[in-house]
Amino acid sequence: MRPSGKLGLAVAAVIAIAAAAVSASADPDRVTEALVTNQTGDSLTVVTLSDMKPAVEVAIGGKPAGIAVSPDRRRAYITSPESKEMVVFDAEARRVVKRFKVGEGPLGIAAHPTNGRVYVADWYTHKVSVVDPEAGAIVAEIAVGDSPSGLAVTPDGRFLLSADRDSDAVSIIDAATNRRLRSVPVGKRPFGITIDASGERAYTANVASDDVSIIDIAAGTMVGTVPVGHRPYAVALAKGRAFVTNQYGSSLSVIDLGSAKVIKTIDVGDHPEGIATDTTGDHVYVACWFDNVLMRVDTGTLAVTGEAAVGDGPRAFGLFLR
Amino acid sequence: MVRAVALALGALVVFPTFASAHGPTRQKVTETVEINAPADKVWAVIGNFQDMSWHPAVAKTEGSGGNDANATRTLTLTSGGTIEEKLISNDPAKKVYKYEIVKVDPKVLPVNNYSSNLSVKGEGDKSTVEWKGAFYRGFMNNDPPPELSDEAAKKAVTDVYRGGLDALKKKLESGG
Repeated sequence: MRPSGKLGLAVAAVIAIAAAAVSASADPDRVTEALVTNQTGDSLTVVTLSDMKPAVEVAIGGKPAGIAVSPDRRRAYITSPESKEMVVFDAEARRVVKRFKVGEGPLGIAAHPTNGRVYVADWYTHKVSVVDPEAGAIVAEIAVGDSPSGLAVTPDGRFLLSADRDSDAVSIIDAATNRRLRSVPVGKRPFGITIDASGERAYTANVASDDVSIIDIAAGTMVGTVPVGHRPYAVALAKGRAFVTNQYGSSLSVIDLGSAKVIKTIDVGDHPEGIATDTTGDHVYVACWFDNVLMRVDTGTLAVTGEAAVGDGPRAFGLFLR
Repeated sequence: MVRAVALALGALVVFPTFASAHGPTRQKVTETVEINAPADKVWAVIGNFQDMSWHPAVAKTEGSGGNDANATRTLTLTSGGTIEEKLISNDPAKKVYKYEIVKVDPKVLPVNNYSSNLSVKGEGDKSTVEWKGAFYRGFMNNDPPPELSDEAAKKAVTDVYRGGLDALKKKLESGG
């Protein structure tokens, strides 16, 4: 095992460096930073995408896992399952500005594009909490299936989808009324869920059946299944392709969405987990939990083109780029 | 492993099992040992998925599928407990194999969703063996009892790795 004292020193060092650094403002046109939750490290690493360098590691507490970014990209919303909290992170100032209890096992988290609400999935109480992040208050609760994990909102803000892991199903929720409209059966143990730019389809990574389910959101049905690698965790979409992290496979499965077939498997670090696409769709970024790195993959050449050291046990479960 | 045995003897309470769920925080353990032997010689001892006899806590290895992906083995421990495992992948050229635990009683090893890498890297007459594991604790809900906590899981896995790696070093360096 790595000596924890060494890690502590490293954290202290980067925090010291960051105190002197000036945070760049969010670019309205494109994402410039990755905000990586380090679960075992109890921290968040900010990685500058232009040079793939860790800019700062900030203590978060409560074993942070899930992350979402506000529509204006100024804030990050983080779940800390161990302390049962949601943490509000000011991404400009690079500091925690608020934290409050949400349920019994907050994990998946997503921000609504327009109404200011944040949704938090609760692993143990089988509900999604609707949160007002500025007030630090739960304003509604939505009963879903068992152990909801990944959450995603359609770009138009109409629907919230929840991957209900232990129900092998996805809940489709009307975001205006917080009413659960239906439960769509998918593969076994869906974990991450991602919606395409048109809001037509959703993709779940199914941990136990080693496949990806494709959902037609308007129809409320599963329209396809694609076998991928071992223990898929999450999905990112770019250039007509889906990129799926395979935890046990230490790889990404690249699916061509036209043919719904895997066209390539890319070796990445051990236990790849959270994955997200940049604004241009030119790259996906992958947090590798065991190896403590964030990797950049070129979505055209399908090659790993960069790597940044992050804290211990990065999960980055959610949309973590700003 | 000694601890696991003690745990098995000491456990009077039967804990409910949560076959599909897991707690929120996955744990990781990495242990290494340096051995005064070339990597080929080390791999010859540890590289066969169907023979775990190099680990002092393993009494018997029974399995099928050889060393191909999805091969299975059941380890019977000297304590009498069993662990069922599956080979995820095997790369003899790189001297690494990955496997997962398919079934284990938390009283034998207090972990869930366990996966592991065993590898050896060589430099001349010396080698470094690395054994690393990723797993959740034995208790799948909030507020675990102490014997099924994150710390208990990490300690149990660390003890298994240390026991195996130290015995391996001794065996190879004594020419056994």
